[in-house]
Amino acid sequence: MSAGVPVLSADRSQAAQPDRGAELAAVCASCHRLDGHDQGIPSIIGFDEATLVAKMVAFKSDERSSQIMRVMSLSLSAEDLTAVAHYLAGQHKDTNPR
Amino acid sequence: MTDCTRRTFGCLLGASCVAALGSRTARSQAKARVVVVGGGVGGATAAKYLALSANTLEVTLIEPKPQYTTCFFSNLYLAGMRSLASLTHGYEPLARRYGIRIVQESVATIDPAAKTVGLESGAKLDYDRLIVAPGIAFKFDAIEGYDEAAAQILPHAWVAGPQTQLLREQLEAMEDGGVFVLTAPPNPFRCPPGPYERACLIAAYFKQFKPRSKILILDAKDSFFEQDLFQDAWERHFPDMIEWLPAQFTGGIKAVDVKTRSIRTEAGNFVAAVANVIPPQVAGRLAQKGGLVDASGWCPVDPLTFESKQQPGIHVIGDAALAGEMPKSAFAANSQAKMCAFAVAALLTGSEEQSSHLFNTCFTFLAPDDAVSDAISFKPGGGTIKMGNILLSQVGESVQTRREAVRAANGWYDAFTHDVFG
Repeated sequence: MSAGVPVLSADRSQAAQPDRGAELAAVCASCHRLDGHDQGIPSIIGFDEATLVAKMVAFKSDERSSQIMRVMSLSLSAEDLTAVAHYLAGQHKDTNPR
Repeated sequence: MTDCTRRTFGCLLGASCVAALGSRTARSQAKARVVVVGGGVGGATAAKYLALSANTLEVTLIEPKPQYTTCFFSNLYLAGMRSLASLTHGYEPLARRYGIRIVQESVATIDPAAKTVGLESGAKLDYDRLIVAPGIAFKFDAIEGYDEAAAQILPHAWVAGPQTQLLREQLEAMEDGGVFVLTAPPNPFRCPPGPYERACLIAAYFKQFKPRSKILILDAKDSFFEQDLFQDAWERHFPDMIEWLPAQFTGGIKAVDVKTRSIRTEAGNFVAAVANVIPPQVAGRLAQKGGLVDASGWCPVDPLTFESKQQPGIHVIGDAALAGEMPKSAFAANSQAKMCAFAVAALLTGSEEQSSHLFNTCFTFLAPDDAVSDAISFKPGGGTIKMGNILLSQVGESVQTRREAVRAANGWYDAFTHDVFG
């Protein structure tokens, strides 16, 4: 198992609820590398939870300009935003990228 | 909202990760089996995210080809801006990193009653859930004279690989001053901006190497996606090089003649030096074979789980699916695959299914240093999938904005293919 992928490790064998943050991070992974090795796309790895939430709120209110991120941020509820920021803040730049 | 204390993520070291996964107890002794058919963007993404979702699933990906060449970004190859190798991806990382069983074979039959998939070799695979991502097939009977043999002379290049290579060779061999004719298909079809981006990038190639050449687009439609952006770019970058003829002017594309390399419309015959015929499309052959298509030629699905409305237990994702207002694109296929994978994992492990997000974003090249992007969110509702927020690039954006989009586009390709195949 390599780093930089959303490990959806909620214990589904116990019929537990899957982790919301990890499932939402899977959406991020369509454009951002979760191993932190982006080129040309801003990295979302290496920030704390509060910073990530602040960035997304800025996209929502159009203070940061990116139409892609604006559409993404508008689709996320405050709870979703916190969940995905919490998950991403726990990820680290992979020292051994692909 | 999930409980923060329950999160146990961020295992970064291979050993600890495997240990964490292995410590889970299986719900039952036998692992639930998910078979995914089709190793394009939808199928590969679904297999990966199923394997990541629960260690109690046995995930098999069936794909006859050893590698996949992406149709997205293949217009850059046609323009000489990227190699075909840079667009080609293997399945080895999916097997090695996630334990997905890769079966390099063609599927011959699907038996929904017995829940088995029959392979060309005669072997049968049992499944608890089947995910089918067959992509597109061409309606070869729609244009008189255009069949698989004709496609060897007049390539469609709408499934990337040898067809794309053939079109590139023909463009390279074409003499300066030739007319390149591209026929654009009726809706719905794979990659709505694709034919028009292709015209832009081939024009960029002509401008540099064959400046007296012309491009003629014969369209089966009267309008197309982001038309204002494209027409603005054609005027700015390639004045007098690209001509677009909508169906109302030509009466539609009726026939091709391979010998004379010509395209016949109701209004007249157009002779090409190189012709790229992109035919009308339907769901891939496996969808037809599996009884998954309706009268439209595409596969009706549940908008939350992508389970077929015609064959319970079988899910259809990607270009083949009738996914409401979602376009047929690699990004949409990737987005649908994740939603479907989470839904299937929830069904098979008995965990709670949560609402998910569907998106499409698209980077489109108008010239080598001019790209645009769009983003659309989608919501399941009322038995279909509807558009939510939509933001598109606008005519008149700064040169800087467009150059930044070129850089973002290339970065996106890397991250996206890493998400799908890495």
